[in-house]
Amino acid sequence: MGRTFSVRDTVTPNNTPYAIARYSADELKEALKKMYLIRKFEEGAEDSYMRGLIHGTMHLSIGQEASAVGSCMSLSDEDKITSTHRGHGHCVAKGADLSRMFAEFFGKESGYCKGRGGSMHIADPSKGNLGANGIVGGGLPIAVGAALSAKRLGTGAVTVCFFGDGANNEGAFHEALNMAKVWNLPVVFVCENNKYGMSTSTERSTAVKNIADRAVAYAMPGVTVDGNDFSAVAEAVDAAVERARKGEGPSLVENVTYRWRGHSKSDRNRYRTKEEIAEWQSRDPIAAMAKLLTDHKIASEDEIAGIEADATRIIEEAIAFATEGANPKIEEVTRDVYTQEIAS
Amino acid sequence: MPTEVIMPKVDMDMAKGKIMSWHIAEGERVSKGDPLFDIETDKAAMEVEAPADGILYHTAPEGMEIPIGTPCAWLYAEGEDVGEQPAPFAGQGAHTVQPEQAAVTDEDDTTSPEHALASVDAVAGEATDKVRATPRARSLASGAGLNLADLIGTGPRGRVQAQDVENEIALRDTRPAPPQTPVAFRAETGALAVTRSKGGTGTPIVMIHGFASNAMSWGQIEAHVKHRPIIRIDLPGHGKSPKLRIDSFADLVREMRRAFDDLNLETAHLVGHSLGGAISIALADTRAKRLSSLTLLAPAGLGPDINGNAVTGICRATRTESLAPWLRALVANEDLVTDSYARLAMEGREDANLRAAQTRLADALFPDGVQAFDLRAALQRIDLPTRILWGKQDAIIPWQHALRAPGHMALHLFDGIGHMAHIECPDAVGKIIKSVV
Amino acid sequence: MHTKTDLRELSYAEAIREAMDIAMAQDERVILMGEDIGVYGGAFGVTGDLIEKYGMDRVMDTPISELGGAGVAVGAAMTGLRPIFEFQFSDFATLGMEQIVNQAAKIRYMLGGAVSVPVVMRFPSGSGTGAAAQHSQSLEAWTAHVPGLKVVQPATPADAKGLLLAALEDPDPVMIYEHKILYKMKGHVPEGHYTTPIGKAAVMREGKDLTIVATAIMVHKALDAAETLATEGIDAEVIDLRTIRPMDRDTVLASVRKTGRLVCVYEAVKTLGVGAEVSAMVAESDAFDYLDAPIIRLGGAECPIPYNPELEKAVVPQVPDILEAARNLAKGRI
Repeated sequence: MGRTFSVRDTVTPNNTPYAIARYSADELKEALKKMYLIRKFEEGAEDSYMRGLIHGTMHLSIGQEASAVGSCMSLSDEDKITSTHRGHGHCVAKGADLSRMFAEFFGKESGYCKGRGGSMHIADPSKGNLGANGIVGGGLPIAVGAALSAKRLGTGAVTVCFFGDGANNEGAFHEALNMAKVWNLPVVFVCENNKYGMSTSTERSTAVKNIADRAVAYAMPGVTVDGNDFSAVAEAVDAAVERARKGEGPSLVENVTYRWRGHSKSDRNRYRTKEEIAEWQSRDPIAAMAKLLTDHKIASEDEIAGIEADATRIIEEAIAFATEGANPKIEEVTRDVYTQEIAS
Repeated sequence: MPTEVIMPKVDMDMAKGKIMSWHIAEGERVSKGDPLFDIETDKAAMEVEAPADGILYHTAPEGMEIPIGTPCAWLYAEGEDVGEQPAPFAGQGAHTVQPEQAAVTDEDDTTSPEHALASVDAVAGEATDKVRATPRARSLASGAGLNLADLIGTGPRGRVQAQDVENEIALRDTRPAPPQTPVAFRAETGALAVTRSKGGTGTPIVMIHGFASNAMSWGQIEAHVKHRPIIRIDLPGHGKSPKLRIDSFADLVREMRRAFDDLNLETAHLVGHSLGGAISIALADTRAKRLSSLTLLAPAGLGPDINGNAVTGICRATRTESLAPWLRALVANEDLVTDSYARLAMEGREDANLRAAQTRLADALFPDGVQAFDLRAALQRIDLPTRILWGKQDAIIPWQHALRAPGHMALHLFDGIGHMAHIECPDAVGKIIKSVV
Repeated sequence: MHTKTDLRELSYAEAIREAMDIAMAQDERVILMGEDIGVYGGAFGVTGDLIEKYGMDRVMDTPISELGGAGVAVGAAMTGLRPIFEFQFSDFATLGMEQIVNQAAKIRYMLGGAVSVPVVMRFPSGSGTGAAAQHSQSLEAWTAHVPGLKVVQPATPADAKGLLLAALEDPDPVMIYEHKILYKMKGHVPEGHYTTPIGKAAVMREGKDLTIVATAIMVHKALDAAETLATEGIDAEVIDLRTIRPMDRDTVLASVRKTGRLVCVYEAVKTLGVGAEVSAMVAESDAFDYLDAPIIRLGGAECPIPYNPELEKAVVPQVPDILEAARNLAKGRI
């Protein structure tokens, strides 16, 4: 199978990849660490699920780590993101604490959402994460609203709106992109095209070849990049963020990637072949990132092993923290429906 | 295949009917249309005709209640094998065997769904036996220690409302304790008293008096129709009749029908006043073939309203002084109730057991001052030449109840007359009856 | 003694505009969003000429994108603005229900209280304009069924202003259903900034014989009916519910305890609506013991709003309907 995206010029004139040229060694190692944290968070979540420690389903983003981390490289805590049902990676990329993430995953009071949100809604608003969303396309208009606030209030903040390929056929996608352009708002629409909306491929669901082609309809720049290539993702999104910050309005970036796991835990993978999955696994974004760092002498293999071990330890501690956490009190189940609780 | 004889639905809200009596015995032959059995519902009694020619078997026992639409007997053709009863009765007592039997005969057991329905209806029926009262009335009554069942509801469908409870509380505070404890009723047995005139020929006239009255009350009418044999029946607990135990209007009708049947008349003209009028309607509903005409004077049973205070007052009176005022309420011209008339009336009520019997009867028929039985549907079914006579100053039962009569019945409304037309204007009443008989 | 300004009268629409004006002057974060609310002034003229005072950046005409527009308002509210979003007709909010029901109502809870969504949405509702089935509905029970939202239905110009200003101060999403026929109704409106408390009903007329709980335009029909009833010796208490989520239990129950009789009058389809909730609230409470008659609900017919003016009138409760229900109740006829 061939790559359907158009690979942008991802190297600088002196043949150094964008990420290497743009970011410091510490920033790059931190990015790699976040990618490992995402991978290990997902693996830990899957393991917990299989052990019967959690009762809900989950949507794992293993294989999509470069897209999540690469898209958040130039964002500060003031900048916002909106996320999707497959949002654990975005949450980590935007700087969330793994322990509180796991606690939420376990439904504990110590979790980010105090056990009220669970896997599909884990978010740390204090880091600019406006929340994952269980509704496909639900976050798109909200991201435009956040961008409207930033423009109106003059905060200079940019909003990165993550959504999947499935959402590009929702009315909300079209209404949101249209309004973002009409009002020229600082928002970057990042489509993580993992090729399947649950089981239906983009070929079967979407009229355009590349989702980035949709940008034409809303008179904004649109670009399709290799979503497993950290540097390519960072380069495309950084450029879009910079345009947004300068008041040049919205952009659409399509990160073509792949989820190694099924849509959710009920997925029996009937719609794709083992060969296809294996082909994408051979293009592991984390391995590629590690190679990028070793190739450019940013980190040694030992250092990388150390980063991975660090991530493993953090996840172990997070799971321990989550396991020990207290369950929410049943009598407090209606707390936080309203700011001031309403007597029933 | 034998023909099912089913319990017919004869009233809108009827769920089941009671088998009162079979007109023929098991093994006897019957023709389609012959009277086959009498039933009694919570409102009326009536005769059911045979649905087909045949020989009667597997009859439901008299007194058994059968859900409507389900069999209560089977008619077999001549020479047809009579085996086991084709299906159990869906009525009382059959419940425990029903499921098992249904399993065996599920192919042609068409009675099961109806049975289920009837059971539900029966439960619903029980619920309506409860006192209808608003929440506020309930809490007020409970706070005042009043039993809701003792109160008269003036709301829709007899619903007890707060005002009713408040009235009762106010009344209780002013009402003295009853002067004496009522005499306990002692039930008697025996046949009802029948008085026959000496002369007369042709179709006899059967007269049924009203509540708290007796056969003598027809005295002034007799003169107008003495060319016919006149037969007067005293109600149970009235006149010379024994004080039978009567717990319901149906009980009363059953006794009166038995007395009527015992007369063995080919045909008769029926005249009834007030409660006697109600009984006449019920008789006409089940004995139409043996009646030539029906004359009803201020009949009961055609609406809920009745002057409960007068009924109670007459029952309770132990002296002429307390009886006379209530007697005056019966008539439009109070002068008719002279002191001597009242004394005479009281003399007929000296027997404490008679008063107890009538008090008991009043409680069964007119609980809380409401006519507890409803003959409106029965009246609609009557196809006999019928006349209804009523005084427009009737203070016991409103004459407007007469307006519920079907169009083929004649209405005679008398101005200036109360509840006792046959005493207040006997000539006019006599002439009308004469014109019929 | 009233001073001249005390007696100042405004229409319901003017009162809403005044509330928006006051809020926008006081708070830069307040913006208006909606279809044709700018130079057009709003389909019902509610925003009027506010665009001249505050400019198109704060009086924002949105594309005809109810879902997207509602979502932008939600996102803006989460991130520091106080948007007032107008659905041109409440019927069109069906296109935006995703953002109202799944997002605005639930974000605070799903995120464990870490974020509030202080969005205000306005829904011009109701029949009487000859606009037929898709422009005349009263769908307030839809949103009132969703925990996380607050839902109000002002009946008077003064409350239209007070409830809008209260909604802007509320940290949670507030849905305001405005009956279109009321827009032109005049009434006394106090000057300046004030709020009408959300969740508090108003006893519009005291009475002892029966309680009429009404919403929106039905409040006025109930008051008309109460005047007639008074001449017949029936003393009706009229309660304007004002907020349907959260409902003012105390005021309704206290009235029912007093009168023992209850009629609920509302324009929305009768079944499964505000009347059902009020009735159930009474039936489940100690006020049940004070009921001296069945509860009556008067609501819209079980059909879409028809076009023909006589039919349109016939499908929603009118004063004679209230009179009949009240008489039947007061005289113990039902």
